Amino acid sequence: MSGKTATAPTTYSPSPTQKKRQPIFKDVDWIRPDGRGFHQCRPAFLRTGAVNAAAGSAYAEFGNTKVIVSVFGPRESKKAMMYSDIGRLNCNVSYTTFATPVRGQGSDHKEFSSMLHKALEGAIILESFPKTTVDVFALVLESGGSDLPVVISCASLALADAGIMMYDLVTSVSVSCLGANLVIDPISEEESYQDGSLLITCMPSRNEVTQLTLTGEWSTPKIHEAVELCLDACSKLGDVMRSCLKEAASASQE
Amino acid sequence: MVGLSIGEKHFIQGGIAQDIRTDGRKRLTYRPISVETGVIPQANGSARVRMGATDVIASVKAELGKPTPLQPDKGKVAIYVDCSPVAAPMFERRGGEELATELSVALQKCLLGGKSGAGAGIDLSSLMVIEGKICWDLYIDCLVISSDGNLLDTLGAAIKAALSNTGVPKVHVAMGPSGDEQPEVDISDEEFLQFDTTGVPVIVTLTKIGRHYIVDATSEEESQMSSAVSISVNRHGHICGLTKRGGSGLDPSVILDMVSVAKHVSEQLINKLDSEIAAAEAYEVES
Repeated sequence: MSGKTATAPTTYSPSPTQKKRQPIFKDVDWIRPDGRGFHQCRPAFLRTGAVNAAAGSAYAEFGNTKVIVSVFGPRESKKAMMYSDIGRLNCNVSYTTFATPVRGQGSDHKEFSSMLHKALEGAIILESFPKTTVDVFALVLESGGSDLPVVISCASLALADAGIMMYDLVTSVSVSCLGANLVIDPISEEESYQDGSLLITCMPSRNEVTQLTLTGEWSTPKIHEAVELCLDACSKLGDVMRSCLKEAASASQE
Repeated sequence: MVGLSIGEKHFIQGGIAQDIRTDGRKRLTYRPISVETGVIPQANGSARVRMGATDVIASVKAELGKPTPLQPDKGKVAIYVDCSPVAAPMFERRGGEELATELSVALQKCLLGGKSGAGAGIDLSSLMVIEGKICWDLYIDCLVISSDGNLLDTLGAAIKAALSNTGVPKVHVAMGPSGDEQPEVDISDEEFLQFDTTGVPVIVTLTKIGRHYIVDATSEEESQMSSAVSISVNRHGHICGLTKRGGSGLDPSVILDMVSVAKHVSEQLINKLDSEIAAAEAYEVES
């Protein structure tokens, strides 16, 4: 971006931080930037079969967060790997260079990759493909907040599309704590001002949490409230994902 | 990782179910903790913490830097963990790297709080020297010398001890004409500001083996775990961070129960650690 664009504010979109907005979050009732209720998720758009070359793939769009995940394999593990009687899962999350308002590196996101791995490994029946590796590659096309939960949910959809055996679909939702309020499915602007966040990854039909992280200072009642909120949203997202898979399956039969 | 026979595995699991572990501890008892401060003279603060056979060193170095434009009124803290192959052969190359990243991410989550700085163990605004121009950058580097389980808790304790040992030099600012690009600073090498560590939380990892969970697991016990939840709790009993390890899922009610157990255990740990740190500091002054 050249310095000239700064004179024409209509075309110049800076980072999502607007200093003036901050006090709004501290009020008891403020309006979220996209007009949602505090406990209302963004509408989810999910499609399977986004990448033809992959064994399975999925595309997810939650507001401005756009993610594409493809699954390859199971294929033979590399020769250097030791023998293993259960399958291996290899996860990789990367961002495009244009995913964030400030042009990024577009490189791998190591932290998210390991989080994705931890979120999925408990749900996949690794015994069903010994000696082989399943690769899960996620690419964040556009980062609009709650990137990791969207990546995780989308990855489990792609795994289901690839026919990898799982105990259940994995769904993930995060909650941000802003002042006194809990805000579900935060956008980047809300994330940049959050006091704390809670991310839950669960298998809704088994009612099992496969991964959770929490940052910021929380009191116990607040954790209870946030966990409940997340689990409820997770089970609803699970229904949406299931119907997406059913749709894809019935379309392919016709 | 740890080679155990079926008999040994059953012994560990059975012991935990009966509330007596292989080394005679109860489920919620820690191994003896020993703290030594000021072990690295070149650092601004350092500590060596041992929990049983787990042995780590944490060092804090303070350097003057420039605050980020997004947070002009705050200093920066970075936490790095190094798992050297000296501790265990499996730390060589990628094994150590992966574990080191996992540990540093977990420590950052547990100690540095949310994005807005709420719940942070380290008050970042106290690291400010001149708003928007100069701040202190704290580099917290940890080294694992010997690993026998419960690394995260030990590292958390070592960081807490190292921070309370840290003296940040006093800075005298020579204000030039207004709108000066970079003001002149004079770092005092005699006067130090003690770091306030009352808000630094402790990390309690509850390792789930069978139907029960234990604190301060040894590596033998860790090899039998189904999952582990690390919870950082501060002095006020507030949760400052939480991460989960291990693949298998947990029932939500179990997690909430773990949180309340961790709160209970953390009280004892904070008191124990505080007295150990005070003793170590007193010993250091004497010698």
